[in-house]
Amino acid sequence: MSDLTTPRTAAVAAGPSSAPGPSPAPGPSSAPGPSPAPGLSSAPLCVFDKVCKWYGPVIGLNDVSFRLQPGITGLVGHNGAGKSTLIKLLTGQLRPSLGRVEVRGRAAWSAAAKRSIGYCPDLDAMYEEMSGRAFVRVMARLHGFSSRETRERVERVLEVVGMADRADRPVATYSKGMRQRVKLAQALVHEPELLVLDEPLNGVDPVGRMEMCRLFRELAAAGKAILVSSHILDELDTLADRILFVCRGRLLASGPLSEIRTMLDAFPARIRIAAPDARRLAMLLLALPRVLGVEIESAGELVLRVERVKEFYGAFAELVAREGVDVERLEVLDASTEAVFDYLMRAVAHAW
Amino acid sequence: MTLEEIRYRGWSEQLTWSWLGWWPIARTGLLLVLRRKVFWIFLGLASLSFLFMFATIYLKAQLTTQNPGFRRFVDGILSNATGTGETYRDFMFAQGTVTMLLLAFAGATLVGDDIRTGGMAFYLARRIGRWHYLVGKLLSVGFLVSLTTTLPALVLYFEYGLLTDSIEYFRDNWTILRGILGYGLTLAAVLSCLLFALASWLPRTVPLVMAWVGVFLLLPATGEMLRDATGSRMWLLLSLWRDVRLIGTWCFGAAGQPRELELLYPSMIVAAAVCVLSIAAVLPRLRATRVVP
Repeated sequence: MSDLTTPRTAAVAAGPSSAPGPSPAPGPSSAPGPSPAPGLSSAPLCVFDKVCKWYGPVIGLNDVSFRLQPGITGLVGHNGAGKSTLIKLLTGQLRPSLGRVEVRGRAAWSAAAKRSIGYCPDLDAMYEEMSGRAFVRVMARLHGFSSRETRERVERVLEVVGMADRADRPVATYSKGMRQRVKLAQALVHEPELLVLDEPLNGVDPVGRMEMCRLFRELAAAGKAILVSSHILDELDTLADRILFVCRGRLLASGPLSEIRTMLDAFPARIRIAAPDARRLAMLLLALPRVLGVEIESAGELVLRVERVKEFYGAFAELVAREGVDVERLEVLDASTEAVFDYLMRAVAHAW
Repeated sequence: MTLEEIRYRGWSEQLTWSWLGWWPIARTGLLLVLRRKVFWIFLGLASLSFLFMFATIYLKAQLTTQNPGFRRFVDGILSNATGTGETYRDFMFAQGTVTMLLLAFAGATLVGDDIRTGGMAFYLARRIGRWHYLVGKLLSVGFLVSLTTTLPALVLYFEYGLLTDSIEYFRDNWTILRGILGYGLTLAAVLSCLLFALASWLPRTVPLVMAWVGVFLLLPATGEMLRDATGSRMWLLLSLWRDVRLIGTWCFGAAGQPRELELLYPSMIVAAAVCVLSIAAVLPRLRATRVVP
């Protein structure tokens, strides 16, 4: 189930942030989580419940509630929207002013919870003189592993991120992509259940990006919850199972992108259809109740403006079967993360 | 009102283990300094003084062993290696001067860079909090100070004992051991706290060196001038280096000049205040988020 909180109703109604009682509304995915590490409870992996964070008079986050489940969740918002605050609360670097942030039933800032969290910051703040291997080793030692276990874990994780053969060089000699890999390695070294990645694909070349996306998917498939904050929204289209949209400290919407898009009634979907007999199809489509407009782009292509996409799809399938119309391709033009984010921002501007 | 409503937060049961995080942090800090060649110049300077003293004690022991009648003569010539508390205090004081220079340049590497570049996030997202981080970093500076002051002094102490009167020397001069450890601890505590505080607010090398010069050169000079102007010796307390040395003298059990001893307790208060204020100044900098008004 996805949640959508329009700016006007966020504080009072349907959104997750207004869920009654101490338990937050169920998250966007109900997939079963991975079995927790020994010694940890089987509590939900990550819960944000009515979380507020103030920095003196400045509001960082305002009444934010959601749950993270295994899979990849994208975090999208403008600069200053509250993404960093959310990430720092989630990784236990900050404590909420109100509300609770729990990882496996423990406060996120507790040592027990941090065992389950891996954090890959966006800053290039590694020690330049140190080798990548030594850096990951230090980070592993901070989790209390013995030196033998540390060595094994470090080698394994460097292998996973594809840095095993280059990790002895000083960090100062690394490219941006290699730095990202080392940062990812230090986040993975203690095999956390929740991985928080802040701009993990920045500076990574296309091949490296594909490799890292594949790695993220493998980790998600292995039952880990991954929160990816990224400005590269195209990547999130293909990478993320769910998206959290934040703006001015509030959670605007959360859930699978397609479901969020469906709920944005005020912004009709734009659908491009390629069909040999576009003119006839256009005429037939205009008769459908959910079609608001049809534009013939070229000889074989037309673009529709449609409300309530799901209902439209049903009616469209019926029409195609009934009339025997050939359809070569159907493509939703504005269901990308970027488009949805743009619509949400417009809704915010309209409401606020 | 329930505890939850007033945002009471329980004590973490994992805290004991989190404190073990001090070692990787301290070790990393030390390694970062040792990896840079420029710092080896200072370490080399510090070891020169140590090697000279080491050789002097050895030479003296050899001469004395070969001809016991030479003892007074040798003591007269090699007066800086008499095996008394003053010998070690003066040695540590000289070593401390080189250490002070080393710290001025190493502060950015040890502390400043983490705060300037946001490297703390790597630590604070682990199972350690800012207090663990603070302790780890203070210890890394403390180890560096000990490496150039306390450790060489201890080596010289044992060398002197083993090469001269052996057991009798250790039995008669156990207060020297207390003095070395006490002076070393004072040096390490005061310098590490002060360096951390200055480097957390002035994380780049040049401003840090300037601030360091201000504390250890300008303030004492100002103190001297004010003493001359007002006649009050209390102004000498502005010289932190002098305060620490006075505490060191006390640790060695040396009486010192009565006029100096007047300032002993005020010196202790100044040193303690510097440590407390430094830590208080550091804490606001050890936050995951900085709010710019």
